[in-house]
Amino acid sequence: MNDGNLSNSLAGFTILEIGEQPGDYAALLLAGLGPEIIKIEPPEGAESRRIGPFASDARDPEESLFFWRYNLNKKSVVLDVDAPGAERTLAALASRADIVLLSGEYETVARRQPLWQRLAAENPRLIVCTITPFGLDGPYRELKTTDLVQMALGGIMAVCGYDPDKDHEYDTPPIAPAMWHSFHLGGEYAAIAIMAAINFRELSGEGQFIDVSVHEAVNTCTEIAIPTYIYSGQVVLRQTARHAATIITHARLTESADGVYMLASISPFVREQRALTELADQLGITHVLGTPEFTQLEKDDGGAAALYRNDILVQIIEGLKADDLFHRAQALGLAWSPIRRPEDNLSDPHFAARHTFAEIDHPELGRTIRYPGTVASDGSAPHFLYTRRAPLLGEHTEEILQRVGVSQAEKNL
Amino acid sequence: MSENGAKARRPLEGVRILDLTWLQVGPQATRLLATFGAQVIRIEWREHKAIDFIRYVPPFAPDNATADGGRSQGVTRGRGIRGNYNRSAYFNNTNPGKYGITLNLNHPKGRDLLRQMARDANAICENFSPGQMDKWGLGYEDLRKINPRIIYIQTTGLGKAGVYKDYVSYGPTAQALSGLTYLSGLPEPRPPAGWGYSYLDHSPGYFGAIMLMAAIRRQRLEGAGCYIDMSQSETGLMLSGTSTLEHQLTGKPTARHGNRMPYRDWSPHGAYRCAGEDNWIAISIQSDEQWRALIEEMGKPAWALDARFATATSRQQNEDDLDAKLAAYTIGCERYELMDRLQARGIPAGVVQKASDRFDRDPQLKARGYFVALPHSDIGTWPVEGFPAKMSRSPAEVGGLTHRAAPKLGEDNEFVFGELVGLSKEEIAALTEEGVL
Repeated sequence: MNDGNLSNSLAGFTILEIGEQPGDYAALLLAGLGPEIIKIEPPEGAESRRIGPFASDARDPEESLFFWRYNLNKKSVVLDVDAPGAERTLAALASRADIVLLSGEYETVARRQPLWQRLAAENPRLIVCTITPFGLDGPYRELKTTDLVQMALGGIMAVCGYDPDKDHEYDTPPIAPAMWHSFHLGGEYAAIAIMAAINFRELSGEGQFIDVSVHEAVNTCTEIAIPTYIYSGQVVLRQTARHAATIITHARLTESADGVYMLASISPFVREQRALTELADQLGITHVLGTPEFTQLEKDDGGAAALYRNDILVQIIEGLKADDLFHRAQALGLAWSPIRRPEDNLSDPHFAARHTFAEIDHPELGRTIRYPGTVASDGSAPHFLYTRRAPLLGEHTEEILQRVGVSQAEKNL
Repeated sequence: MSENGAKARRPLEGVRILDLTWLQVGPQATRLLATFGAQVIRIEWREHKAIDFIRYVPPFAPDNATADGGRSQGVTRGRGIRGNYNRSAYFNNTNPGKYGITLNLNHPKGRDLLRQMARDANAICENFSPGQMDKWGLGYEDLRKINPRIIYIQTTGLGKAGVYKDYVSYGPTAQALSGLTYLSGLPEPRPPAGWGYSYLDHSPGYFGAIMLMAAIRRQRLEGAGCYIDMSQSETGLMLSGTSTLEHQLTGKPTARHGNRMPYRDWSPHGAYRCAGEDNWIAISIQSDEQWRALIEEMGKPAWALDARFATATSRQQNEDDLDAKLAAYTIGCERYELMDRLQARGIPAGVVQKASDRFDRDPQLKARGYFVALPHSDIGTWPVEGFPAKMSRSPAEVGGLTHRAAPKLGEDNEFVFGELVGLSKEEIAALTEEGVL
């Protein structure tokens, strides 16, 4: 590990986390930087313990892989925060905390918010961050949502999906890419706002209130869709596994010899043309690329030349196994990749060399599980560090309550 | 309290960022730092290949847009001049709040000036191909000798360290490799639908901002430097949900499920066609209670009362048929009117909003002031996308220190090289003449 490694950059911070999925993820991101995260769960366990898949068919709340994935490094305290008697315990926790994350539906968060305003008055350095579907004000604040509904209203769905048919009619629905991305976006922006608030607190000594809207977070993440509309009045059209655009661009998904779709394309740049020719030669494909005949075709009929190149491209992809093609193409400077399943990367030597996956011990299973664990390296070690599996329900209740001087019997009194 | 005794207003007050990034992934991170008050200096060069490529991405501001005549001032839409690198819509949205300078790093004097600027910079950000900065003698090891406190972040598709350090990648490449493309779409044998844009040009920018602000805080407190080798494909894996875990525990390959929800007892769960051209509504039924409310709202059609649809489990077992029947109902409905009716019954439902819906109609974005109108020195005032959180003490300001949308190429040469670097007018003129600035 190098001196500048960030995995202990929030060491000494205490973060209280109360609520649902976007909060799970926001706290997970911060958890990789070294703070103590205290997740306060109701007696029946957090909502995220009921999300699958599960480790076994029993669907036990202790076996939710969703909960496992999004709650590494955290501690669990059981406390009914809505019980009238909980205030004294929460006050004791808040007096030593730096950050409180409150996430969930508007109704729940708005009901809990006044208590935290009182507690923040007692601890003015406290940063209180709410994450709600639409934010704490505005006409949509009480709407019911799920990840799917947020991906729809926020604009990501409209730009993801499949090509229209030959009559330019869509016969397939827009697609919300799977795995909870509206919560990812809400959680990432919460972490960004919290990091800004931490920096502000170093300068001013003051905490503050942060009101994150998942709807707005999703809205920030559609690339050219919004500027294109504002400036030209045109709406981009969704297309299969490539950029949405104001026109339908050339389709280009082809399966390799071992049945893996390849992300592969050829631009008109000379360097890429040469690389295509080289690959065709390596495979012994008969072609006229690079000949005066082809140069003439490019001059006379650019469209026909592009179709010819595409035909060679398809032959190349169909002629090799995906990983072989990946490495050959990259050796020639082509930004191609197989469309892998996520788990294909578990055995890839590149991610092993970068320590991308964190090996986490699950003593209850008698084994370890590898979790995606970082987005960056300091040159020798990951900047995010995950070492502990998600907590069992209430695993740390006694430890934490003892520390703040509240007994188990009086925690809800 | 800040050093001069005045109350600090911005979280990153006094922080200077040298921003050598381009396209989307790097500029996304520095956009966020500018939003919190960092002085972000975008560095480009005048040669076609060294100008940020997204300055050439259409559409462009219409020809009749002027310094005081942008969209917010009533200019009509129209086709803009191709190739005018100061008028790109996308660039303007991606780079508000930043200063813009030109500096030729292929010229030894240009590299010397960058080294000089690195002396009192807090951070330097770049997303060149791995190794480019080292070739110029401007890599982390070079710059930390000049400024041991410097924070250096480079963002690449696969990372600078590792087996594939020389591989090239764009957002879609990293999405394909990491598994995000595979995860999106209808079940096999359909191909993946993937993402209709470079998601992995956005998310690593968010992570970049988080790490940079963690590093800046420590730099302020302890004077520590930091090197960040950021990778888009690792970011993709962080966003791959439970898929790698499930595979390790079950041995089963990851599958696609379209818009359905295999991880909860939620059904129906999908996008259903409404009246009009390519109009859709997302409906997400979380309980039998919500299902019964939907039946009521549809006027209790006989098909919906079928025992096959009575429980979540049976609905999920008969989901193809269920989806077809529900779609036959929604096709007759106006999409927003249906959303209102379903929401009134407590059913999670939302229109699949296109950019036009979000910008022109969405009452929530309007009420929260999401779009921010910012002036640009050539094309007038235009709305840009905002920051998705309200902050009580240090509000996000997308216009940053410049109170402006994106900079024109080299717009701030005089301010940066004059006031910040301390060159005289004559020196600036001579260096410009020489092809350095």
